[in-house]
Amino acid sequence: MNIQKAAVIGAGVMGASIAAHISNAGIPVYLLDIVPKDASNRNIIAETAIQKLLKAEPAPFMHKHNARLVTAGNTEDHLQWLADVDWVIEAVIEDPKIKKSLYQKLYDVCRKDCLISSNTSTLPLHLLTRDMPENFRQRFMITHFFNPPRYMRLLELVSGPLTRPELVSAISSFADINLGKNCVTCKDTPGFIANRIGIYWQLCGMLEAIDLGLTVEQADAVISYPFGIPKTGIFGLLDLVGLDLIPHILSGMKQALPPDDAFHQVNRLPELVRKMIADGYTGRKGKGGFYRLNEINGKRVKESINLQTGEYNRSEKPDPDAIKSIKKAGLPAFLSSRGATAVYAWRVLSKTLSYAASLVPEISDDIVAIDSAMHDGYNWKYGPFELLDQIGVAWFTGKLQAENRDVPPLLAEKHPLYKVIADKLNFVDLVGNYHPVPRAEGLLLLSDIKLQGPAILENPSASLWNIGDGVACLEFHSKMNTLDMDSMTLIRQSIDKVSSEFSALVIHNEEDNFSAGANLGLLMQAIDNSDWAAVEQLVIQGQETYKALKFAPFPVVGAPSGLALGGGCEILLHCDAIQAHAELYMGLVEVGVGLIPAWGGCKEYLRRWLILPKRPRGPIPPLVKAFETIGLAKVSKSAAEAKELLFLGDYDAITMNKHRLLADAKAKALSLSENYAAPEPCVYPMPGKTAKILLSMGIKAFHLLGKATDYDVAVSEKLAHVLSGGESDITSPLTEDDLLALEREAFMALVKQPGTRARLEHMLETGKPLRN
Amino acid sequence: MKNVVIAGYCRSPFSPANKGRLIKVRPDDLAAQVVKGLIGKTGVNPNDIEDLILGCAFPEGEQGLNVARLIVPLAGLPISVAGATVNRFCGSSMQAIHMAAGAIQMDAGDVFICAGAESMTRIPMGGFNTLPNPALYEAFPQAYISMGDTAENLAKQYRINRADQEAFAVQSQQKAYAAQQQGRFADEIIPITTKSDRVDVDGCLRPESTSASLAQLPPAFQATGSVTAGTSSPLTDGAAAVLVCSEEYADAHGLAKLARIKSIAVSGCAPEIMGIGPVSATRKALKRAGLELDDIDIVELNEAFAAQSLAVLKELPIPAAKLNLDGGAIALGHPLGASGARITGKAASLLKRENKRYVLATMCIGGGQGIATILEAI
Repeated sequence: MNIQKAAVIGAGVMGASIAAHISNAGIPVYLLDIVPKDASNRNIIAETAIQKLLKAEPAPFMHKHNARLVTAGNTEDHLQWLADVDWVIEAVIEDPKIKKSLYQKLYDVCRKDCLISSNTSTLPLHLLTRDMPENFRQRFMITHFFNPPRYMRLLELVSGPLTRPELVSAISSFADINLGKNCVTCKDTPGFIANRIGIYWQLCGMLEAIDLGLTVEQADAVISYPFGIPKTGIFGLLDLVGLDLIPHILSGMKQALPPDDAFHQVNRLPELVRKMIADGYTGRKGKGGFYRLNEINGKRVKESINLQTGEYNRSEKPDPDAIKSIKKAGLPAFLSSRGATAVYAWRVLSKTLSYAASLVPEISDDIVAIDSAMHDGYNWKYGPFELLDQIGVAWFTGKLQAENRDVPPLLAEKHPLYKVIADKLNFVDLVGNYHPVPRAEGLLLLSDIKLQGPAILENPSASLWNIGDGVACLEFHSKMNTLDMDSMTLIRQSIDKVSSEFSALVIHNEEDNFSAGANLGLLMQAIDNSDWAAVEQLVIQGQETYKALKFAPFPVVGAPSGLALGGGCEILLHCDAIQAHAELYMGLVEVGVGLIPAWGGCKEYLRRWLILPKRPRGPIPPLVKAFETIGLAKVSKSAAEAKELLFLGDYDAITMNKHRLLADAKAKALSLSENYAAPEPCVYPMPGKTAKILLSMGIKAFHLLGKATDYDVAVSEKLAHVLSGGESDITSPLTEDDLLALEREAFMALVKQPGTRARLEHMLETGKPLRN
Repeated sequence: MKNVVIAGYCRSPFSPANKGRLIKVRPDDLAAQVVKGLIGKTGVNPNDIEDLILGCAFPEGEQGLNVARLIVPLAGLPISVAGATVNRFCGSSMQAIHMAAGAIQMDAGDVFICAGAESMTRIPMGGFNTLPNPALYEAFPQAYISMGDTAENLAKQYRINRADQEAFAVQSQQKAYAAQQQGRFADEIIPITTKSDRVDVDGCLRPESTSASLAQLPPAFQATGSVTAGTSSPLTDGAAAVLVCSEEYADAHGLAKLARIKSIAVSGCAPEIMGIGPVSATRKALKRAGLELDDIDIVELNEAFAAQSLAVLKELPIPAAKLNLDGGAIALGHPLGASGARITGKAASLLKRENKRYVLATMCIGGGQGIATILEAI
């Protein structure tokens, strides 16, 4: 079964955002909610929800046009619309009576093969299907999305004993390929997997911090970066979730969990939290929570609550070096030390990890599903079992035993939880046997490839891997994947290697960000030394390397995810094709540091506009478009937007599931490798000075309007010079090398300016552009 | 010499560019519907038409080639009708009227359609491919000055403050709204049929504008300036047409004569204060007509900007009661090439409606020019 049309009932934040994400997959979706009493517009709830989605940050839509695929309606007038949909997701209030009365209506109106699922996070499936007809139970399941659905990869699936397997597999496959979700099969137990562990973890984190007298900053600083947990830690996350929900969640879990569950031993709502809720301090959606922004003398000041007194004080961040040193010292060393934060971390983690281990097989037969759920539902870099391996299972259980605490059976034999056997990652089961970690069909992970042996080429910044079938993969792995001379060297070496031994190359890595661009620290050093020859070498090396890549005798496919900025964007622009992850933040942002793209970025981006068949005719439109995009440092907020900005062309494609990106890119590379011929060099008929004047007039108007700073003008003028073709005349087309020379000349002129130096320095210090 | 008369005027609704109801209409189709409407309205025999002269400020793309000639078959006119596109920026379609008048007096034809069209949605102001002359730009950069900056220059030079500009804009809006409410545009608007719509009402008006609401707007061109979107004419899609013929012909064929053309003039001024152009053009036209400003009963002054209009009024003291009776371009919109035909046709019909003797239509022109036409009652 193919999902071609879907519906979401319930236009609350979750329901509406799920509908938005279905539209991101290009699938039309109905969004229905009730008719409010005496409403003149009977679709008002769903319509308002869509309007809110369009303004929400982070954006639920990958492109605002996707909103056209979401049709607002109401459950009184439009239920008959559901007769032709393939999947209905119920996301109404967590009340079994309301849900079941809706199901009865859905049962009557939906096609008999339409899958109906609930987005419930608290109600068990057996309760929702009790007394429902058999045919309903055959096509009902729970599909539990995480907030925000566009960005959180986890989808928990719970099916009942009667649910038809082909429907479950149709939904899993759609969620995997079209929605980009990691589907984790869960048992019908309270909180499923991620929230079962997540709630317990947050509760322990909150109570232990209060008991040990920690500040919220101390707690959040330790239960985050050192353990691969997002920087919101415990209290920042509770603020995000909403404190008012805590009592409901706790009482729900209390009722639902078996009496011997460890949850009951820690379940208590601190008086402080009760008071905060009563006073309206419900978190980010309220007046503030454990943290708040307070206005003092017109300035916004971040404050945090004193967990003992309940008073707010200016937020004091713990020393970042102390936090960094935790990882350096090693987790066991830290966890056995005596400081309050170490004791706190041990208490929270030992309880949470033991709890997770004790839940096998209750919530999942294997540890892989649990790790996946915490990765993708809570953005933990390591799942509980991966974390246990990092800490050391033997050390961990030893410490539990020394403290006379129970050791979960899974950990009793002190086996490592994961192990590489025959080049494959294996996980342990309850009896100590190892099994290969299952991978969905058609999935290819660089991390799996790496288990099979050393890289073909490697240096500190990049590596080249054999990903099979004659395709090699170039991986960046410097900090933020910034590009330096080592990266360039490895690209050059890779070109030689792939030319002789492979048929295609993919450029890909599995970090959060493809590449943040050139390593500015190195550039800054050369500037400080006034070593202009070195700076120019940096430019020339980049230009020559990217050019060699473009004209290499094999196809190159870029497979980016996350940020692809500056030099990281430029390398992609030189590829034969791009297979982009849907979450792509791509842009030529050089002007932000007072520079212009000079590794061929101007040249390649201009080319995209020049060759676009449907563009307005004449010499000016391509360079105006390029000038706007580069001059304003536009960055796409999705691959769909990258397409609109023409960073991606018609031939490039988008993969929704990040884990499928490499496989898709490899397939694209292989398809290009048959009878591959390197591209013909582009010729650039550029109008020269006349166009420069036109752009200059635009810059001046912007400056007069106060939208461009003085130094923006200086940088833009250089960019305008390059994009208009310098002193060229339309009758004498420029070559690619001419464009590169213009880029280089402009770059070298700017890099010597104090304004550029100030911008670079500011970016390196603050991570933000300076508007000088 | 033959007398030249205006024997018919009509226009499309004027609609905001990029967001109005005419954005999907090609300017050639828009003009053709208006020309067809004019033929129907006046009852002129199309076989007698010598030439269709069409003004357009950015004659490229869909309003490119010689679009006037292409409108002849589009409007269902006989192939014997000639067509010429003229460009004097904002003065283009008034220029078309002047050319027809000149031709009639040269005995080079009796009947002319003088039209104008601009889709500022579909052909951006400045065109798709502006290619300034580098040498000229160096020697005389103001040749390419942007219109907003010229308005700021006049505001400074004539010390016209922002509140006065806003008061002027509010008046324009109120006059236009009153005219619309009282159906005073009904006889000049030719409803435009689009693929999915029939548009018969102007779309640019903002009758809710008040001095207080306009005061909230940010400057549109210069951060420290006084000109805003509310005191500028909006980017507009529209077309307009007038029937210009010899008085003999009109009499012989029983056409309804609106007004006689008394005198015409164009003039040049400094590009950086192009908005003052109507002053010298009007003075020339008055002299040629043997009239004083006081003799003029009604004035149609194209409102490119409130600052520009107020600067002209400082040089040409025209009483408010005589000025732009049904509102001006700030409220109605300014589809560049079409505005000259609109204000001249409007002036002619106002003369008849108000039963007055002399009317002046005048406008400023980018690059530093003015154009003026004086009409007299018949």
